[in-house]
Amino acid sequence: MSRDTQFILRHLGELEQLAEEVLADKEQIVDLDRTRNGNREGLRSLIRQNRQSKPGQSKSWVCFGDMFIKLPGPTAQAMIEQDQEKLTEEIDRLHKELKPKVAKLRDMEGQKEAKGFDLTALSSDEMKAVGR
Amino acid sequence: MAASTAQKVAEVREVTRMERIGAHSHIRGLGLDDALDARKVSQGMVGQVEARRAAGVILEMIKEGKIAGRAVLIAGQPGTGKTAIAMGMAQSLGQDTPFTAIAGSEIFSLEMSKTEALTQAFRRSIGIRIKEETEIIEGEVVEIQIDRPATGQGAKVGKLTLKTTEMETIYDLGTKMIESLTKEKVQAGDIVTIDKATGKITKLGRSFTRARDYDAMGPQTKFVQCPEGELQKRKEVVHTVTLHEIDVINSRTQGFLALFSGDTGEIKGEVREQINAKVAEWREEGKADIVPGVLFIDEVHMLDIECFSFLNRALENDMAPVVIMATNRGITRIRGTRYKSPHGIPIDLLDRLLIISTSPYSEKELKQILTIRCEEEDVEMSEDAITVLTRIGMETSLRYSIQLITAANLVCRKRKGTEVDMDDIKRVYSLFLDESRSTQFLKEYQQEFMFNEVTEDEMETT
Repeated sequence: MSRDTQFILRHLGELEQLAEEVLADKEQIVDLDRTRNGNREGLRSLIRQNRQSKPGQSKSWVCFGDMFIKLPGPTAQAMIEQDQEKLTEEIDRLHKELKPKVAKLRDMEGQKEAKGFDLTALSSDEMKAVGR
Repeated sequence: MAASTAQKVAEVREVTRMERIGAHSHIRGLGLDDALDARKVSQGMVGQVEARRAAGVILEMIKEGKIAGRAVLIAGQPGTGKTAIAMGMAQSLGQDTPFTAIAGSEIFSLEMSKTEALTQAFRRSIGIRIKEETEIIEGEVVEIQIDRPATGQGAKVGKLTLKTTEMETIYDLGTKMIESLTKEKVQAGDIVTIDKATGKITKLGRSFTRARDYDAMGPQTKFVQCPEGELQKRKEVVHTVTLHEIDVINSRTQGFLALFSGDTGEIKGEVREQINAKVAEWREEGKADIVPGVLFIDEVHMLDIECFSFLNRALENDMAPVVIMATNRGITRIRGTRYKSPHGIPIDLLDRLLIISTSPYSEKELKQILTIRCEEEDVEMSEDAITVLTRIGMETSLRYSIQLITAANLVCRKRKGTEVDMDDIKRVYSLFLDESRSTQFLKEYQQEFMFNEVTEDEMETT
């Protein structure tokens, strides 16, 4: 194979890999959000159950992988809350990484950079100061 | 009957829409090529090649940020395209570059000092670009279930099921959410977004899959696709606000409403200083971009000596916009003094200005401008009619002949014609007097008007 073909082949390979990564990340965000919403539903009903029963009396079945374990209500709640935090963190991380990845992909495909202003978002307090 | 009324209403609306086409709405830029040479006819601009080139050079300097705090004066006879050039510059600066146009006499008001009015105009012309990031929940409503307590009192509880193409989930609803859902009349099959921070619900439309639910449907029903992906999304919005808007919101006595009522009163200097500091800080942190805009002061000879000395100082501020002034005066008295000066502007200020001059249009250029205006105002006009109109323009003024376009079009529509022809022009020419004919008329019939005892030489002095 000539040098050019080698080069193109490698380029296409990289391109394909990057595109695959972007797609996978998007898919993962959706999956994580689905889990997050499921957790939220569970958390809601746990809280409701904990509130209705006497303290230290409520117990729930919690599913770990393919095993069900009976846990005291408050413990289960704390576990899910922790899980939620991790999920939110993970989604935020993916969101943050997605932008540069897409920019790089566009660059490699020879497209123009997606138009943007490269700004950092204002916090909600700061938004109040500008009246939005 | 009902149909004909509806049609009439539509017709009336169309007229008001036409009125809203401004005198310079056809201008889309300066009409320059990449080498900054003016094309003969481009982007709504005709002729004034020299002036446009000069404006183009200034524009490049603005874009490169080299000219902040300097000013441009466009001088020329009435109706030679001074405002058009200023508009053209504003247009080529891009969409969210703030452009403020004021007339020189606007700053004289009882409620506000002249300098305050000028400061506000300055700050209206500087934009701050910022980004807002919000978390929203976006999905199609599958089901809403609201339980009212049997007694009729107490808190309502409910459940809202939302889905996207990928997932579906149930939200528990509190009293507040239930209220806003009922207020928005959200029902199963609607696509909604919920702002996570504020809880504000926005209805985007109805889902396509529910398009066949009812046969009778209002015309305003909008059908949208069921959203894709995750339910909880992130939305980024970039706003451009002007410094003045931030001023108004943060000056405590005013509040947000002042933005709409227009009467903002005076804003304290400390408030402005604090805002400047904050904006500078945001800029350092990459949270804000400053978009220096253009302040256009028409009829600048109407400003008085105090304003001019204020301008001298204000132009040196590092947040100053580019000030473009226009005047149609020659050597005249500076307002507020007994001294005469070119354009009615003090020499020291004149020294800081880049001066562009415009010259009267040639007949050919007039014709092109009239053709462009006809297009802009949606008027079909025959070749002869345009020629006649051009002649009228040469003899009277460009403004007068432009005003005849819409008038002639109305006459043409009255006689159910499709194209404005010479007779229509003649008719409106006889209906509406131009300035010189009106003067002529007054001279002839002055005796029959009231209070006509003004003597000839008194007229001379005024």
